[in-house]
Amino acid sequence: MAESPLRVVIVDDHPVFRAGLRAELDDTIAVVGEAADVGAAVAVIAETRPDVVLLDVHLPGGAGATVPEGSTGGAEVLKRAAHLVPGTRFLALSVSDQAEDVVGVIRAGARGYLTKGSAGIDVVKAVHAVAGGDAVFSPRLAGFVLDAFGAAAGETAAVPDELDRLSAREQEVMRYIARGYAYKEVAAELFISVKTVETHVSAVLRKLQLSSRHELTAWASARRLL
Amino acid sequence: MSPLAPPMRPPLTRPRACLLSGVSAGLARHLGLPVWVVRAVFVATAFLGGAGVYLYLWFWCFTPWDALPGGAGGERAERAPVTRTLPVAWLLLGAAAVSVVLSWLVLGTAGLLTSFGFLALLLVAGAGAWSTFADRADPGRGRGGERAVRIAGAILLGVMLVVAIIGAGSATEAALSTLLVALAAALLFAPLLLAQWRELGRERTKRIREEQRAEMAAHLHDSVLQTLALIQHRSGATSEVGRIARAQERELREWLYAGDSAPDADLATDLRDWAAALEIDYAVTFDVVVVGGSGERASGELAAAAREAMLNAARHAGGEVSVYLEGSPTRVEVFVRDRGPGFDPADVPGDRLGVRESIIGRMRRAGGRAEVRPGKAGGTEVHLVFETPDQNRTGGAHG
Repeated sequence: MAESPLRVVIVDDHPVFRAGLRAELDDTIAVVGEAADVGAAVAVIAETRPDVVLLDVHLPGGAGATVPEGSTGGAEVLKRAAHLVPGTRFLALSVSDQAEDVVGVIRAGARGYLTKGSAGIDVVKAVHAVAGGDAVFSPRLAGFVLDAFGAAAGETAAVPDELDRLSAREQEVMRYIARGYAYKEVAAELFISVKTVETHVSAVLRKLQLSSRHELTAWASARRLL
Repeated sequence: MSPLAPPMRPPLTRPRACLLSGVSAGLARHLGLPVWVVRAVFVATAFLGGAGVYLYLWFWCFTPWDALPGGAGGERAERAPVTRTLPVAWLLLGAAAVSVVLSWLVLGTAGLLTSFGFLALLLVAGAGAWSTFADRADPGRGRGGERAVRIAGAILLGVMLVVAIIGAGSATEAALSTLLVALAAALLFAPLLLAQWRELGRERTKRIREEQRAEMAAHLHDSVLQTLALIQHRSGATSEVGRIARAQERELREWLYAGDSAPDADLATDLRDWAAALEIDYAVTFDVVVVGGSGERASGELAAAAREAMLNAARHAGGEVSVYLEGSPTRVEVFVRDRGPGFDPADVPGDRLGVRESIIGRMRRAGGRAEVRPGKAGGTEVHLVFETPDQNRTGGAHG
């Protein structure tokens, strides 16, 4: 890529993991900062104003910051830093596949979610996608979303703008992603453009973040998220 | 003992369902004698300077209870309930009453400052201790029985005190009797406090253990799981090291969050377990995504077909395989998608039973549908559908 590399901050409390991740990223990505806890992360993000923050879901509080009971360090970083750097996009990384943790970070404003086991090339792709304004959904996250919006029970939005339910097309896209299809493959299956797939995914992400749907809130509060 | 004798004697342990202490029954079982013979020997030798009594007590102290069926030892075995047929606490109270009556009949006084009186007081206190320490854990008696024993004991003490004061020759004797009765009453109720205190101690130990476990879980989550993730990340998901790390991660996660997953064998759990097993044997990683609740049983035909599809994907395609399970009240769907070279089912020779029989045929016989198709971007996807229009589902009709 001819453009200047994407500026990325890695937030993870494990030096080994940070080093490993840094080694995996190719030269389209420049790591401009690292942080190991919530306090340091907020400071580094505010100072460097990166394009993308790779954010671990579980983080210790660190200097001058505590992680409230029921929240996660990742969600806390988003709460404190997101409004300081409006241009920055956050991509959550986690070893935890606990639905509540992942949905908590997404609802706090992350643009996507990857498991830490993902290969380096996938991380690079995801960083570029997030930087370009797209959402990154792993199959697991797509499954959570379908579950949380009651798609399995046959709930479909009557109008596309409805926040509490997914439209038929959005459900279709989510199902393909949950079945392991990449955006390109989803586009081929549905005879639509990749851009349209991305639009649908972004719409789902917006609904996930803004919806006051009962299951989402009940789900979250049952696990002391909000 | 002759060397030819079979050494298959049952171990010397006391049965948990017993008359008084299980000593005679356990000994009889160990020696292969009828229980009444052992009892008779104890009673007979008791008259030889109390030898039988001491022997009995010795056995009582040093013979362990039967092992629990689950093989659990330690504290749990110590605390497992013992069922005694003999109402020992009530017998002790009865003996106390008899002792008072005997004192009146033999010594002509119902006063407490006699050996019979002392005995009666000790027996009442003993009844209280027995009801708390021995009978509380007994499901047939429990706390209700304990309370009844204690109330009866208190009434008996009261009667004894009244009788003793009425029959007392002097004020000193009356005062001493009152003191003794008060002491006995204290002994009657002391086990309650003691038991409570022990209970508190146990609770505290348990809480500390829980805290330690939670701390350990947090630590392992932070360090070991992260390291395992990094290993997978660096070695490539389908390499052998990566798969071992993945299997370890899964095991550790299950142990750490034992309470989080449904313990019953539903289809989702079954497919996850199957995926974990296949990942160890083949160069493959499964991503199992489950949406909606399904009451589908793990033993049904759908599960068998899904397992077969996963096995095929692991064997012939490898790499990353996605399994998607969606359950709604009216249908259950399973997608198994691989990214292998792909094949067209029409090209598979008729003698190959794998796909045709164990997936498509099986689903059709069970009243469902199966479809195997190549993906537009490569790979193969197996799609299994099972419609369940009514509540009365017959998931594995053709077992």
